[in-house]
Amino acid sequence: MEKNNPPPSLPDTDSRRNFLKQGIFIMGGLITAGIGVPAVTYFLAPLWQKEEEDWTEVGTVAELPVGEPFKIDFVQRKRDGWMTVEGRSSAWAVTVDGEQFTVFDPRCTHLGCPYRWDAEKKKFLCPCHNAVFSVTGEVLAGPPPRPLDRFPVKVAGGKLFIKPAQKKGEG
Amino acid sequence: MSRLTNWLDERIGIRGIRETLLDRKIPKGVGWPYVLGSVSLFLFTLQVVTGILLAMNYSPSPEHAHSSVSYMMQKIPMGSVVRGLHHWGASFMVVAVTLHLLRTFFYGAYKYPRELTWITGIFIWLLVLGFGFTGYLLPWDQKAYWATMVGANIASQAPFLGPAIAKVLRGGEALGAVTLTRFYAFHVLLLPALTALLIGFHLFLVVRIGISAPPEKEDKNKP
Repeated sequence: MEKNNPPPSLPDTDSRRNFLKQGIFIMGGLITAGIGVPAVTYFLAPLWQKEEEDWTEVGTVAELPVGEPFKIDFVQRKRDGWMTVEGRSSAWAVTVDGEQFTVFDPRCTHLGCPYRWDAEKKKFLCPCHNAVFSVTGEVLAGPPPRPLDRFPVKVAGGKLFIKPAQKKGEG
Repeated sequence: MSRLTNWLDERIGIRGIRETLLDRKIPKGVGWPYVLGSVSLFLFTLQVVTGILLAMNYSPSPEHAHSSVSYMMQKIPMGSVVRGLHHWGASFMVVAVTLHLLRTFFYGAYKYPRELTWITGIFIWLLVLGFGFTGYLLPWDQKAYWATMVGANIASQAPFLGPAIAKVLRGGEALGAVTLTRFYAFHVLLLPALTALLIGFHLFLVVRIGISAPPEKEDKNKP
């Protein structure tokens, strides 16, 4: 096969060839961008999707004990892609006046073990690595790196609602 | 850029490859009818890219198929665009490949020495129709369900082997969960693998043999 390159004595042909070449590159670039931008947006969708937990009702305020932390069990409805899955979940709650509630994530901030309230010692104890938390969630002893995590709480119509959100970066 | 080209050229002879692939001799008189093959190839690439993306959010089970599709349409950014491209790309692909086939037929371009190009092309065309048939079921809506029902029943009308063919297609007596998983496997694994192989061979032949000149009226003055 002989080469198709025009002889150098024809600058007009050369510029026409370059013009067409550039036109092809520009059109190809536009088409690639037109498909590439939606494709990349779609692929990276998990990065800009917000996971909004709905408020979950966990009890009637008037029936909840005052002063002593108590465990609340509830059914949590979670969105999992196109599905809504229900799962049993729990949390530790405490109120001093029956109006302001503090609700703790039931997992120890060390490695996620379920801790419990020791009514005699008046402390939260984690069985895994002997972590001890105060009634306000402060670390008193053991390896946890931070106080107990808290769930957002609200009281509406005499009912207690929480948003059992998972902390970022945890499973 | 030219340093990279030099580097590649020294090792794999990229300039020669580029010359062979892109700087091919083209016969006199070729025009728009000759772009249909490239159009088909472009659409195939588009279907592969968008199809891979769709598979990331699709679940081929009767319980989840439809809701996973509507989830991707409503909740995934650009989900409707990506699915729209795949949907329309599929229709365009059938049209483009069919026109490409007709162009080849009416220009007589299937003749010696291009018989193998023609035969592989026919099989690619059949595979494209297979893509259309299997992909149509995947959204698992009423249209998908009944279209596949009709398609499988048409297959069962064939003499002797018909019922067996329909049963193998459906994965059983009735259209259901197994049909969906089978069609999904055909659509995203079997057909793409076969099509990619055939397209590779088809393109190799096109580069190897070159494309035919448009037919001319016979020259009566020729001796």
